[in-house]
Amino acid sequence: METEKSSKKHPGKIIFLVLISIVTVFIIYYSIMSMIGPVRKMEDIEKEFGVKSKDKNGVEQQILKDSSYLRLLKEKAYLQSRIVMAESDSIYLTLNLADSTANIEICGVVVHKSKMKSVKTSKILSTGNENSILSMLATPFTISSAIATIKKEPVMIKMAPKDTSEYKPDIMPDTSITEPVNYILEMKGGIRIYVYQEENSKFNDRMNHFIFDIKDRIRDTWSALKNVAVFKVPEYHPFIKIRLPRTDAKIIYRAIPKNGQIAVFSQ
Amino acid sequence: MENEKIINEGDQAEIGKNSAITDPVMDEHINEADRTLSKKSNVRKTLLIIFRSLLIIICSILIIISLILFILYAVPVLKEISPRRKTEIVNNQELKKDALYKKQIGLVTKDIQRFSLKFNGYTSGQSYIVINTIENKFALYTNKKLIREGFCSSGSYTLLQTSGNKKWIFKTPKGKYWIRGKTTNPVWKRPDWSFVEEGSPIPSANDQSRYEYGVLGDYALALGDGYMIHGTIYKRFLGMPVTHGCVRLNDEDLKVIYNTLNIGSKVYIF
Repeated sequence: METEKSSKKHPGKIIFLVLISIVTVFIIYYSIMSMIGPVRKMEDIEKEFGVKSKDKNGVEQQILKDSSYLRLLKEKAYLQSRIVMAESDSIYLTLNLADSTANIEICGVVVHKSKMKSVKTSKILSTGNENSILSMLATPFTISSAIATIKKEPVMIKMAPKDTSEYKPDIMPDTSITEPVNYILEMKGGIRIYVYQEENSKFNDRMNHFIFDIKDRIRDTWSALKNVAVFKVPEYHPFIKIRLPRTDAKIIYRAIPKNGQIAVFSQ
Repeated sequence: MENEKIINEGDQAEIGKNSAITDPVMDEHINEADRTLSKKSNVRKTLLIIFRSLLIIICSILIIISLILFILYAVPVLKEISPRRKTEIVNNQELKKDALYKKQIGLVTKDIQRFSLKFNGYTSGQSYIVINTIENKFALYTNKKLIREGFCSSGSYTLLQTSGNKKWIFKTPKGKYWIRGKTTNPVWKRPDWSFVEEGSPIPSANDQSRYEYGVLGDYALALGDGYMIHGTIYKRFLGMPVTHGCVRLNDEDLKVIYNTLNIGSKVYIF
């Protein structure tokens, strides 16, 4: 009887142990592949924007590491970006992470100023004293896609009345509605700009932020899992996360065109 | 000894037989007790199985949840701490004395000055107006200084659609514009959509019913493509998105803007 029982129990235990081992191995594999992502991204940035320091002599190489020189280069890169965008005859965004300002500009004229309440950048960008990052910032980023909790254009469809008897005058719009504003702007180079509303005291705001964040994490994880399943390193997206007052966040999202441009001055 | 044991066993069997024969009630009691005992042990066994299964389920759920949390929250953190090469930043005083360094710094500083000059040149020293269609506000500038701000009304983002699938969208265009014309006592020539919106038949192009007097206020500044900055009789709607694309202002603001802006003055709408 005893031997029968133990032989019956064993397959379950074995399956359980095998499953646990598979999951553990997969998690380790997934974590390692995910950690390779940023390294690959940095390599790609260096390939595209890096300065070939081998061609430079000793002093030139030293200059490229000098803090004062790099500070000037940053300023130059930011100005260059803004000039390029000013000549594009479009509405664009400038993010100055050093003084925490997010401005909307049209043809070089600042038309709206807002103050960021908090800024968080991915390590790749915060170690942005690297020459390749500076060169990357010298060209404005172009938005390739956006995910938001608000509509870009709040269009309301109204059917025309067939005759004057059907006509109803417009109702006064309700401007008291304050929908939560959170969005992600994805740039063509893979950089993501997360804009969250600063107001977070109401339960609705907190809940909306949580759902928005979890959805983004699930999207990211799903795409990473798909890559990892075919033994590919998942794509890493360097990020800039900022918090703005709700109104400013809304103004920026609605003002910037779908494929608008953004200049970033790194810290 | 062997014989004794056999005898004893035989005795016990005898006693058992005798008792079975002599006390059937007792036997029934014993059977009942047996049944209750086995029932109890069965219940205990079932409970144990249920408890164990529950424990396994709870543990599995907890493992799955922690795995999901690890993937969603810990892996992104791991990505940020993954090792990578970092350029070592120096502040070498010796280097600062080097001629090549001075030359490089000079070149970059010159570039920055040149770019700054160019960039500052984009903001006109002349008068210009900025219209914020999201908040429905305007700001008037002269010599790069704010001289007046207030509320306005801009496009309602209404899409008017007919049964014949004709469409008009009432939104204020965004970007850089300039004043193309200035009019006093403007007359509104009603476009087709104005009739469609009311359900009235569309009159001919120059029909008398198309002209309305006094609805655009005292002044109008044309931006092109039929869009204007003008006054309104619906002052209670100022600060709200209610127009068909034009920018409406109150009488006082409109007068100041009309007197400040000239033909060619820039209008920035966002």
